[in-house]
Amino acid sequence: MIRTENLTKRFGSKLAVANLDLEIAAGEFFCFLGPNGAGKTTTIKMLTGLLHPTEGRAFLGGHDIRKEPLQAKRIIGYIPDSPFLYEKLTGREFMRFVAGLYHLEDGRVAEYGEELLEIFELRSVADDLIEDYSHGMRQKLSFASCFLHDPKIVVVDEPWVGLDPKNIRFVKDYLKTRTREGLTVFMSTHTLSIAEEIADRIGIIHNGKLLHLGTVPEIKALADRTGSLEDVFLELTQGDEV
Amino acid sequence: MSQLAAVARAKLQIARHSIASVQTESKLKVSVISVCAFGLWLGAFFLFKEGFEFLMRFGADVSGSARGIGSIVLTRMLGVLALAVFFMLIFSNVLVSFSTLYRSREVAYLLHAPISFRTLFVARFFECIAFSSWALAYLGSPLILAYGYTTGAPLIFYVSAIMFFVPYITLPAAIGSLVTLVLARVFPRLRMSTIILFGMLAVLLLFVYWKQSMGVNRLSEDTFLPALLDMTSQTQSPLLPSYWTTRGVLAAAARSYGECIFDFLLLTSNALMAVWLAAETAQRIFYMGWSSLAGRERGRAKWLGRSPLAYLDGLLKALPNPERALVIKDIRLFWRDATQWSQFVIFFGIMAVYIANLRNMSGRYQQDFWRSWIACLNIGACTLILATLTSRFVFPLVSLEGRRFWILGLAPLSFRRLVFQKFWLSVATTSAFTVGLAILSGSMLGLEPIYFALSVYSVIITNFGLSGLAVGLGTLYPNFQEDNPARIVSGMGGTLNFLLSVGYITLVVGAQTMILQWRVLGLYTSDASFYMALAIAVVFITGLSIVSTVIPLSLGLRNLNRMEF
Repeated sequence: MIRTENLTKRFGSKLAVANLDLEIAAGEFFCFLGPNGAGKTTTIKMLTGLLHPTEGRAFLGGHDIRKEPLQAKRIIGYIPDSPFLYEKLTGREFMRFVAGLYHLEDGRVAEYGEELLEIFELRSVADDLIEDYSHGMRQKLSFASCFLHDPKIVVVDEPWVGLDPKNIRFVKDYLKTRTREGLTVFMSTHTLSIAEEIADRIGIIHNGKLLHLGTVPEIKALADRTGSLEDVFLELTQGDEV
Repeated sequence: MSQLAAVARAKLQIARHSIASVQTESKLKVSVISVCAFGLWLGAFFLFKEGFEFLMRFGADVSGSARGIGSIVLTRMLGVLALAVFFMLIFSNVLVSFSTLYRSREVAYLLHAPISFRTLFVARFFECIAFSSWALAYLGSPLILAYGYTTGAPLIFYVSAIMFFVPYITLPAAIGSLVTLVLARVFPRLRMSTIILFGMLAVLLLFVYWKQSMGVNRLSEDTFLPALLDMTSQTQSPLLPSYWTTRGVLAAAARSYGECIFDFLLLTSNALMAVWLAAETAQRIFYMGWSSLAGRERGRAKWLGRSPLAYLDGLLKALPNPERALVIKDIRLFWRDATQWSQFVIFFGIMAVYIANLRNMSGRYQQDFWRSWIACLNIGACTLILATLTSRFVFPLVSLEGRRFWILGLAPLSFRRLVFQKFWLSVATTSAFTVGLAILSGSMLGLEPIYFALSVYSVIITNFGLSGLAVGLGTLYPNFQEDNPARIVSGMGGTLNFLLSVGYITLVVGAQTMILQWRVLGLYTSDASFYMALAIAVVFITGLSIVSTVIPLSLGLRNLNRMEF
C-alpha cells in the first residue's frame, strides 16, 4: 500500500533522508522510530506530498505522489503533531469544510461526520469555535476529520501530544481496529512502549538512513542484550536523544 | 542586565535577523520594492512641495515678495493635519495595544517570568509605538521636507521636527494603551468586535461634529479665508498636543528657539507623564484584564448558530465542491475576524463620505472641461478604492491559509483550483461594491452616457486586473508564518502589490483621461476620430488588464506548485 524507492531529501548540503526503500502492506501498522532530527517528519511530508523528494519516488496505493497527486491524496489521511486548524471555524464547520475538499456528499457528512464527532467525544463542543479548543480537542478533531473520507492509508506524526491517557488508549485501540479492517497506518512516534505494543513492523531511522526494519521481536533480537524496545532503540541509535 | 534591557535586546536581535533575512530574498524583488518605495516617497515629496508652493503663492502680490494669505492657510492646514493624525494614532494604538498586550503569545510567555506588569507593559509598549507609527514616519518625512524646502526653513527646523516626532507619537500611543487597559479591565467580557465598534462610533461622532462645524458649502463662500480660519480655529487650542507640536516646529523654522524649547518640553513632559500613568495603570489592572479575557466564557455556540453565516451552505448550493467549501470557509473566517471586517467597515465609511460629497459636485460644473475632469477623477477614485480593497483584503488570502496549508496540501485539490477560487471570490465581492459605486457616483454626477459607460467598464475590467495582481502576487510572495493580515500586507510582497496596483490604475485612468481631455480641448478633427481613439484606449485598458491578471496568476501558481510545506 505504501512503497518508497530510493526516497531522498536534501536541504541544501544537509542530507535529511537518504535512499529510503520501504514497502508497507495493506492493513499493516507500521511504526517509524528515530531520534530527534533523524528524518521522520521529512519522510512523512514526502509521503504526503507536502515536500518534494530530491530523488526517488513514493507510491500510495500504487499512485506516485508526484505524478498522480490527486489520486494518491484521495486515499490518504494525515494527522500532524501540531494540528494547526482554522481557529475561527467551529468543529462541525471544519468537518463540513474537509468534506467539501474531498467532494463528499452532504448526506455522508451529516451521518458519518456526526458519528465521528461522537466517537471522538467532540459532539458537545462541535458548535464552539476551534480557537476555544484545548490541544487535545484539536488533536481529536484532526483525527475525526482525517477519517471522514474513509482513507486507505493514515499517516500519523507523533499523535499522543496533548492527549490524556484515556484518549491515548482510545486512539491506539481505534487505529488498531481500523488496521484489522484493512487500513494501513504509518506512524512516527517517540512513545516506544506504544510502538512495541501495537506495531506490526518497526523501522528505525537515524541520520536520514534506515538502520533497521522488522517486527518487534526481530528488532529486539538485533541488540546485544535483551530488554524493552526502549533499551534496544537506545543501543541501536548509540544513545542519541529519543 | 535589567529585564527591560533583556527584552529590548531580544527584540533588536529579532529585528537584526529579520533584516539579515532580506539577503536571502530574491534580489529582483528587493530591488523592485526598494525602488518603488523610494519612488512613492519621492512622489509624495513632490506632491507636497507643489501643494505648498501653490498655497504660498495664494494671495501673494505679483512680485511674490509680500507674504500672502497662503502661508496662513498653510500653517492652519498643518494644524488640522497634526490634530487628525493625533486622533488616528490614538485609535490605531487602541487596536494595536489590544493585540500586543492581550492577544500576543509573547505576553503569555513573559508572564511566566518574575517580571512586573509595569515592566511588561513598557516592554510591549515600544512595539505598539513601532507598529502604529512607522507609516507616519514614512509619509510624514516627505511632508516635513517639502514644507522646509518651500518655506526655506533653516536646518534647526528639520532637527526639531525629528525631536518633536518622538513625543508626538508617544503621547497618543500611551493614551491609546491606557484606553485599552481600562476597557479590558472594565469590560472583561467585551469582545474585540465591540471594542472596535465603540472606537468606530467615537470616530463617527467626531466626524459628524467636524462635518457640522466645517460644512463643505461654506468653502464656496466669498469670505473664504475668515470661514476657513473660523472652522479650523479649534485646532489651535493651547490644550491640544498637536498644536504644541506644530507651534514648536514652526517656531524652530522662525528661529524662535525659546518658544520651540518650551513646546518641546511641554509635549515631552506630557508624553512621559502619559507613559508613566499607563505603566502604573498596567501594574494595577493589566493582569486582571488579561486573566479575565483569557478565562472568558466560551458560550458562543448559540450566537454562531443564529448568525447569517449559518445560511451560507444553502445560499451557495449551486457552487461545486471544493470551491464551495473554500468560499464558505473564507467568508466565515473573514467575518469572524473583527480586525478584518472592522477595516472593511472603514472602507464603507470612506465610500459613504465620497458619495455624500458627490451631492456637492453634481450639477455645479457646466463647462465641458470640468465635467470631463470630474468623470476621469471619479474613475480614479473608484479604482483607487478598489485597489485599496484588493491590497488590504485580497492579497493576504493565500497567506492566511498559513500553517493550516497542510490541510489543503493533503486534499485531492489542484492548486490551480485553489488560486482561481481566490481570484473569482475576489472579483465577485469587490465588483459588488465598486461597480455599484461607479454606477451610483456616475448617476449622481450626471455623467454623459459615454463617460458613464467608460467609468463602469473601467471599474469592471480593473476588478479583474487588480484581483489578478493581488491573488497572483499573494501566491507568489506568501507569508505562511503570520496570522495577522495587516502584517502580511505590510510585508515586501504586499508593498509590491500595492505599488503595482497604483501603477496599473495610473495607466488605466491616464489612458482615458488623455482621450477625453483631447476631446474637450478640440484636438480631434471629427467624432469618428474621437471614437477611434476611445476604442484604442479601451483595447489598451483591456489588454493591460489581461496582462495584469494572467501573468501574476501564472507566476503565483508556478510558485505554489514548487513550494514545500
